[in-house]
Amino acid sequence: MLRWACRLSGLVIAAMLAALILVLANSALPAIRKFGAGFITSSEWRVNEIERPLRGPDGKVVMGEDGVVMEILPPAFGALPVIYGTAATSLIALVVAVPLSLGAALFLVRVAPRLRIAGPVSFLVEFLAAIPSLAFGVWGLFVLAPMFQNSVAPLLRRILEPVPGLHWLFFEKITVAGRIIERPIPLNGRDLLTGSLILAVMILPIITSVSRDVLRSVPRIQIEGTLALGATWWQSCVAMLRYARSGLLGAVLLGLARAAGETMAVTMVIGNNNQISASPFAPAQTMASLLANEFGEATDGMHRAALLYVALILLVMSLAFNVVARKLVVGRPSHAVH
Amino acid sequence: MSLSFKESRRRTASAFMYALCAASTLAIVTVLLMVAGYLAWIGASSLSWNLLTTVPTGDVANPGGMRHAIDGTIVLVLLAAMLGVPLGVLAGIYLSEYPEEARLTGPLRFIADVLTGVPSIVVGILGYELLVVPVSRLTENSISFSGFAGAGALAFIMIPIVARTTEEMLRLVPRSYREGSLALGATRSQTIFRVVLPGAFGGITTGIVLAMGRIAGETAPLLFTALGSRLLTHDPRQPFPSLTLQIYTYATGPYPEQRRLAWAGMLVLLALLFVLNLAVRIVAARQARGRLH
Repeated sequence: MLRWACRLSGLVIAAMLAALILVLANSALPAIRKFGAGFITSSEWRVNEIERPLRGPDGKVVMGEDGVVMEILPPAFGALPVIYGTAATSLIALVVAVPLSLGAALFLVRVAPRLRIAGPVSFLVEFLAAIPSLAFGVWGLFVLAPMFQNSVAPLLRRILEPVPGLHWLFFEKITVAGRIIERPIPLNGRDLLTGSLILAVMILPIITSVSRDVLRSVPRIQIEGTLALGATWWQSCVAMLRYARSGLLGAVLLGLARAAGETMAVTMVIGNNNQISASPFAPAQTMASLLANEFGEATDGMHRAALLYVALILLVMSLAFNVVARKLVVGRPSHAVH
Repeated sequence: MSLSFKESRRRTASAFMYALCAASTLAIVTVLLMVAGYLAWIGASSLSWNLLTTVPTGDVANPGGMRHAIDGTIVLVLLAAMLGVPLGVLAGIYLSEYPEEARLTGPLRFIADVLTGVPSIVVGILGYELLVVPVSRLTENSISFSGFAGAGALAFIMIPIVARTTEEMLRLVPRSYREGSLALGATRSQTIFRVVLPGAFGGITTGIVLAMGRIAGETAPLLFTALGSRLLTHDPRQPFPSLTLQIYTYATGPYPEQRRLAWAGMLVLLALLFVLNLAVRIVAARQARGRLH
């Protein structure tokens, strides 16, 4: 009896994964059929039909017999801008968070126990991992974004703008009436960079705690061996990092998976604009924030199917990150992840 | 000479990196304390008794309180736990107590781990497709957002977490307990119910309460399932309010008074989570002590 109840509950977990993949794939089917693999390389995202004057190759409006010739742009859906947004924010977040986390993990394993502060610091890091992402979003929206808008971004602009070759950081080219003009990017603090930094703050605890556990499992004899050979503190740390590299890669991948799937905080500070801009000061959009913004209002069938296609890509991507990460971090107690 | 130069350079490098490691620890702790501290500070200044007892007025200059949202979150979490706790605990027992079925439990454990990493917005969309769309078709309503759908999405997040913590806690019960019980003639189920589960009760409860805290802070899974509501309702067949949804709506809205409410609501949520965590730790510690004596 009990065995069957337990087995059934276990199978529910397998069914949950199956349901995720099958239901999303099935609902996204119209979009998959229509756009195929080209979905991930197209950057058009037009929910509604647009009618606009047709322009010739010279940029001039084409005149017909009865006035201006109009062209009708049908709705189009492509995921490239949000894939770019997700990749860019996650990568910037990793670049900021990984060195800090690894440094802190080394400190927690090699230094803190001697100072008797390993317990309190670890507790802090883990407690902060339990803060809901909405809290980071509220903080980002009301503290980080205004700070960027009022002080950080203007300061960076003053320093970097005169530097030759960095012009693109603060100007964007847009098409107005068939001509390409250049205008300064409004620095309102809600942009790709702010989104990335919020993500960096949010993935600090998970990368720190997982890599701390990984480093802790490095055999003592490895460290003592290097020290006996005359290595300095840092050289023995390098040996330690090298010994634990696959587990550390797993920790980084777990952080990456969290960053890529993070929704609320990013949605609140990234500016929500489906565009690819070279400048990190321009508003952007990630897969998760696109879903949070548009899914509730997607009444049109193809729009919804396209969003579900995005959700499916996001799911498959984060499943892949998680599978690889967990294969790398073997034998690590699971509570560190939760 | 050159050797000693190398030597001193290597020592300086080491000291430098040591300082960097200490600095990064300090940086992490500072940033995270800043976030928590700022939320508490601003939140506390907008906190009032009305927040806990009154419902939205509809007037943006004097928006009322968040009683409906607090009730909503409590109801949603309890509903999710009613589904998630039994399934999660049973699955956890399966993963831990039936080693002879390792061919099934091995992959299941891995799937449970991977499921904890699924983005919560994707879970929300699954909830919409599975619990909102079919019900709308059935009842011929326009769109049947409901508290039940929200609780279902939260349970989805809860089940793998509860299953894995239950398993970990059961594994801490010494093997000899099980063997003793079986040697006295108890069946497998009797052993699990009378010996193993009571032995791990404190740990499992802690895990469940922490999982409840985790889902109480979730927003994304509720966006397209519970939807949120400005009314005080306890009927889960209706669109349902939650603290997180209300905070999100207020925080991203244009009205300063509502933004203040968002801060205060966030503080209430964090306080709720903190008290939950603290209570669980105290109770678990007391139980562990009681069993030793």
